[in-house]
Amino acid sequence: MAAGGFFRRSHGVGEAGWGRTIFAAVISFIYFFPVLWIILTAFKTMNDVLAVPPKFLFTPTLENFVGVFSRPFSAGADSQATNFDLYFFNSIFIAGSSVFFALVIGTLAAFGFSRYPLKGNDTYLFIILTTRMLPAIVVIIPIILMFRVVGLAGSYTGIIALYTAFNLPFTIWMMKSFFDELSPDVEDAARLDGSSDTRVFLKICLPQVVAGLAATAVFGLILTWNEYLFALLLSGVETRTVPVAMAQTIGGDIGVRWGLLAAIETLFLIPVILVVFFLQNHLLRGVTFGTIKR
Amino acid sequence: MSQTGASLSLANVSKFYGRVRALDGLTFDVKPGQFFALFGPSSVGKTTTLRTIAGLVRPDAGTVTIAGRDVTDAPIAGRGVSMVFQSFALYPHLTVYDNFAYPLREAKVASAEIDRRVKETAETLKLTHRLERKPSTLSGGEQQRVALGRSLIRRPSILLLDEPLTNLDAKLRNDMRAELKRLHRQFGLTVIFATPDELEALSMGEEIAVMRDGAVVQRGTPDELYEAPANLYVATKIGSPHMNLIDATERGDAKSFDTPFGIVGAGARAMANAKGKRILGIRPNDIRLARTGDTALAATVHLIEPLGDVTIVSVEANGQTLRMVLPEQQAIGMKMGDAAPIVIDPAKIHVFEAGTGEAIR
Repeated sequence: MAAGGFFRRSHGVGEAGWGRTIFAAVISFIYFFPVLWIILTAFKTMNDVLAVPPKFLFTPTLENFVGVFSRPFSAGADSQATNFDLYFFNSIFIAGSSVFFALVIGTLAAFGFSRYPLKGNDTYLFIILTTRMLPAIVVIIPIILMFRVVGLAGSYTGIIALYTAFNLPFTIWMMKSFFDELSPDVEDAARLDGSSDTRVFLKICLPQVVAGLAATAVFGLILTWNEYLFALLLSGVETRTVPVAMAQTIGGDIGVRWGLLAAIETLFLIPVILVVFFLQNHLLRGVTFGTIKR
Repeated sequence: MSQTGASLSLANVSKFYGRVRALDGLTFDVKPGQFFALFGPSSVGKTTTLRTIAGLVRPDAGTVTIAGRDVTDAPIAGRGVSMVFQSFALYPHLTVYDNFAYPLREAKVASAEIDRRVKETAETLKLTHRLERKPSTLSGGEQQRVALGRSLIRRPSILLLDEPLTNLDAKLRNDMRAELKRLHRQFGLTVIFATPDELEALSMGEEIAVMRDGAVVQRGTPDELYEAPANLYVATKIGSPHMNLIDATERGDAKSFDTPFGIVGAGARAMANAKGKRILGIRPNDIRLARTGDTALAATVHLIEPLGDVTIVSVEANGQTLRMVLPEQQAIGMKMGDAAPIVIDPAKIHVFEAGTGEAIR
């Protein structure tokens, strides 16, 4: 969100005037600076990275980006392919799938909680939320044990199922609040117009909460994309995600290769930035939904 | 594009929401093609009544009959009922065109026919230039017409209107009243509309059912309700300015009452020769200033409200006030505290039982 102003389409100086615009630009720059520094570092040679005082002007190099996918693993050795193409695929596939499944299941559940409340509806919703109240470290050991027994450890199915379960509580809560905001009269009108309950959901309710779906998807994506602990302990060699692989890149006999890490991080930013960019119009409506009386 | 309206009848319909009784033995019937008003303040069950007719609410008891067929437990589809919601309930994500087309698409009407009927409806409601717009970009009056069009496009035999004018500003209301009447004539369907506004009910309804606590307390033409209210509730709800109520006691001579203003005659009304507490209802139009020679009631001017062509004058005696409507010139020069002897036409007095509020005729 901090970089929100950066990705908004340019509208020129609006009614706020130059003074406030510049003030906002300075604040945005302060927030954005760490990201900017990582991106700059990704284009620096090892010497430029370690230079004191830090260099703002330097000759950019792409060697770090090449190194992400292929590099010598010890001094003097030949370049070898890393598995980062796989890890990037894993991150995208696992985060994408789990967000998708959480959205499908969560939206249906949220619609149910919103429109067909059970006796003790709030209790069920609370119970769903409690699954996210414990620190991850507390639940990880039983989960590892269960995954071992069932044979899910290290598999795509396992990690996707786990992340789906993680995303479900807030997906349900968020989507329920979006559904709660809709006018029930509109749905009754559709019933009078001949729609079945399923058609009311698909043709009337769902299109009205597109902004909510986008906002929920982005929150879920960011959460899952950056998850480290469970990925570290539950993913296998073939299903390793970028955060885990990144951590394992830090070590090595030639010290921490900051330029390489920065290059991985820069690449790692791109998918999320793209998603946010394409959903930004929905997103702005999504996060303000319900705060403005329509 | 004309069709015939269906008859409708509700018999002893009751509906509970938990322990709250929304409808309580509601009974009334509407003739085919009638423009029928459900009148009453908010939360007397008007909306629940309409939703029950539409099939959105299933009553706990009683029967709903449309065109002679018992539809109490019938599904919504096939009732031939459509409804315009108080909030209009337009599909916010669809254009005006698609809002109109929605009921036809759900009914699997061929797309060429849909296109023809959408355009025809838009023409009727003067919305042709708005077909590609989303509802949120339309004015209140246009939104209302879209809601009407969407209800009429599938040619229902009964149209329900839930407070159709409440969400419009004053000028639009007048236009819309005329528009609704015109559509009613043009389509010949049965219209049932709910309103909390007595002027709307009186000016638009061919017949009016006055509701209280989920039941009909009186039903009749606007004239009947005005001339012969069945109880104090109807008497005070219908007519503007509101009916005056004064505490009275029957004198036991079968022809007059004791009131704070003096003895008031009972006219030709047949009365039991009994003493008892009564409430007299007198319309502000049925009181006049006394002329020389009249047997007048003593009163003093309490408040003067000039309204242009008429002036509403409140007179007072022994702590009880009466409002009367006077032609403007009669009120000229009147001051508060002036003596203003008045005459009440005995034939126009409404008599109510003090305890139950029921009319005594």
